[in-house]
Amino acid sequence: MKKLSVLLLVLIAAGLLFAATEYHVEETWNGKPGGTFYYWGLGDPKTFNYDWAQETSSTDPLGFTVATLLEADEGGMPTLPGLAKDWWFSEDGLTFFVKIREGLQWSDGAPFTIDDVYWTFVDVSFIPENTANGNGSYLDSNDQLPVVEIVDETTISFTWTVPMVTALRQVGFRPIMPKHVLEEVVANGTYPEFWTIADFDKLVGMGPFVITDYIEGVRIAFERNPYYWKVDGNGVKLPYFDKLNYELLADQNTSLLRFEAGELDLYGPTAEQFPRLAEMAAEKGWITGVGGPALGSQFVTFNFNTTDPVKNAWFRNDGFRRAFVYAMDRDAIIESLYNGLGSPLYGPVSPSSGFYNPEIEQFAYKYSITRARLELKRGGFDWLADGTCVDADGNPVEFELLTNAGNVVREAISNIIVDGAAKLGIKVNFRPIDFNTVVGRLLDATYEAVVIGLTGSVDPGTGWNVYRLDGGLHFWNYPPDYNPDDHITEDMYVLPDWEKRVDEIYRLQTSAVVDQDRYDLFAEFQMIFAEYQPVVFTMAQNFLYVYKNNIKLPVEKLTPATDLLFQLEGWWKE
Amino acid sequence: MLKYIVRRLILAIPVLLGVSVLAFMIISAAPGDFLDAYRLNPSISKEQLTVLESQFGLDQNVFVQYFKWLGNVLTGNFGYSFSYRIPVFELVWRRLGATLLLSISTMIFTWGIGIPLGIYSALHQYSPSDQAFSFLAFIGISIPNFFFALLWLFMAAKTGWFPIGGIISQNFGDMSFFGKIGDYLWHVVGPMVTLGTSGLAGLMRQMRGQLLDQLRQDYVLFARAKGMPEKNVIYKHAVRNAINPIVTMFGYALSGLLGGAVLTETVFGWPGMGRLVIEALNAQDLFLVMATLLLSAVLLVIGNLLADLLLAWVDPRIRYRLS
Repeated sequence: MKKLSVLLLVLIAAGLLFAATEYHVEETWNGKPGGTFYYWGLGDPKTFNYDWAQETSSTDPLGFTVATLLEADEGGMPTLPGLAKDWWFSEDGLTFFVKIREGLQWSDGAPFTIDDVYWTFVDVSFIPENTANGNGSYLDSNDQLPVVEIVDETTISFTWTVPMVTALRQVGFRPIMPKHVLEEVVANGTYPEFWTIADFDKLVGMGPFVITDYIEGVRIAFERNPYYWKVDGNGVKLPYFDKLNYELLADQNTSLLRFEAGELDLYGPTAEQFPRLAEMAAEKGWITGVGGPALGSQFVTFNFNTTDPVKNAWFRNDGFRRAFVYAMDRDAIIESLYNGLGSPLYGPVSPSSGFYNPEIEQFAYKYSITRARLELKRGGFDWLADGTCVDADGNPVEFELLTNAGNVVREAISNIIVDGAAKLGIKVNFRPIDFNTVVGRLLDATYEAVVIGLTGSVDPGTGWNVYRLDGGLHFWNYPPDYNPDDHITEDMYVLPDWEKRVDEIYRLQTSAVVDQDRYDLFAEFQMIFAEYQPVVFTMAQNFLYVYKNNIKLPVEKLTPATDLLFQLEGWWKE
Repeated sequence: MLKYIVRRLILAIPVLLGVSVLAFMIISAAPGDFLDAYRLNPSISKEQLTVLESQFGLDQNVFVQYFKWLGNVLTGNFGYSFSYRIPVFELVWRRLGATLLLSISTMIFTWGIGIPLGIYSALHQYSPSDQAFSFLAFIGISIPNFFFALLWLFMAAKTGWFPIGGIISQNFGDMSFFGKIGDYLWHVVGPMVTLGTSGLAGLMRQMRGQLLDQLRQDYVLFARAKGMPEKNVIYKHAVRNAINPIVTMFGYALSGLLGGAVLTETVFGWPGMGRLVIEALNAQDLFLVMATLLLSAVLLVIGNLLADLLLAWVDPRIRYRLS
């Protein structure tokens, strides 16, 4: 009896020491394991260090090797469990708790613990020198970083001074880094020079794949991570693919030829290439798909604070900017540039996002020179006998429009604007210039009008640096204290009420613990933008993809919110 | 001779210094800097940008930057690439093999075909074959490289005779040693022909013109008059005299060995220096641009020196003295 109880005790102790691995089970998946997936990327990676990767050529391949606490659902929202099996907010909304899975291992076999999570945030993410993006997105509306505490062996908490709902995204989507590998280089400050392209075989991660080989300009070879923590409904360990062959190509035309020759399994074609592929699809055994409009955006911004007070008055005039919404023939650009595979945009949130507010359609913006003239008229503009548009003081309206030379889409948009403005009697001097010059002119507010684009996300909250008054990219109306050396002074600065409200919304949304509240705030934000058009949005290309029909996906449809390769661990080959 | 070489190399130092000053100042004078792409990233705040500026040393005066860089270069440290975060010559080194494979095979192709064709054309002046070769050469020179490359890839995709770009096959790892060499050669044909055809015409016409000039000289008439066999007249006398300007051209061609060819490399997906350099220029990756510029300046100096030495070797009339 005694012996038995000792044995039992030992067994329990052993059980505690080697807790069973808490796999994540995808009940509905039942694919066939094995095979190699052939995919490609445009250009070589610049680094394998996730925290210093900026271009998609680096972040895309790295995405297969890292794992996050939460994962995105089909709408791109942080609602699915990842390394965390459970997460919740405290009653007062100030503290965000995360409970991680037990018994997981890194791709090198080392145990994954709560220390890794703590260290990733406190020692890497929160120190500005350790990441390219810095810690700005972890700050709450009082500009405070959270206090991080390890509650018990599997639970960690983040406490801000105000409720911080973006924690779900900022904490949930931050890849956890291996403390046992990186602790030393982070401590001695050489982390930015670590895990460069020469170190491809040293990477350790929690993602479905690990990099086994990298040949410059040729390919990155991935193999399945034997320690990956997801299984399917039949208990088969994921990912299904044994290998992932990521070809590095330099040119869209070459990649198209490679896909047509059957050397790639999936391809995201340009709008120009898509109709031809769709035509051949049935015969070749391909499946094509069209998702919604992309999340990134191209827009025109007018500078409220140029060095010329006359022009400032025009650009601050709501009717003036609205006239440009009407005067832009978006359908013509979509037809000529995107083969019709695009959608016009009238607000800052893409219709592909769950936050899109369809009510902005009540403004019924469309291409109409008559309505553009009406808006100008309401704004106090008039026309001379020869058709030249003049403001209330009789100054002829003429301004300079910049964009970065070589960007076909932006140049086409600019040309359409020049055309539309000419029909309104407004002379727009279009100057395509070097990208760096555009950035310089934008950021020191010496431009008049610029066509530019920014990357987007399903969550409008990630645009804080653009929409907040003190944001570094609030380039249409920089406040006087933005840069003490520039020409913007207190007495020339005008802050409309709706700008204040947008700033307020961006501060409130981080504390809106109830989902509906946050949705409502962003709905209001979109209505303000649609009405006042501080920047005039143009259009977005639709999301396009084509893949071989022997490839099986765990989702029915890919969209800009899921992106290509959504839940790649669940893809398989027949 | 050795003294002459040493003297030329010493004279090269001020040249290289001048190149470095000019290049550094011009790059710095261009608007913006490496961080401009970061500045338009919505998730990077103003505060973070100042952190990055000081990390990259971009917040300092351009002269301070230059002398710091020069000081490091003198100790053998050419700096880190901003975007790759590894020493610049390590990056160059990684691309060296592919670049040399392409440029040397292109050189062999161009020179190996261009010179014999030039000689043949000169000897058969105005014959139908001369006209035909000139016609083909001019077609080669007038098709833009990127377009020729696309045509080639299209042909490769349709026929399957050649790979669709790249430098090695997908199953490269499973090949035998000779299989691997064959695979490299099979892949190099496309970019080599693309680059070669554009250089072929110039070389061929040059050789043809030079040789025709020599064949009209009095000494050729004399040699023929005294009954020397036609073979000897041409190859021992006329060609040797005609080759001098070609040797000079060869020296310059050497300096282009590591330059890469951006458009052709891009279309064929060839991992050469050209793409590295153009990306570095676009991103204003300062030290990487400086390293590649200095490298080509050094190669130009060496190429010139080699051309001069070769010239002395092929033409006994030329002697170099220290004066």
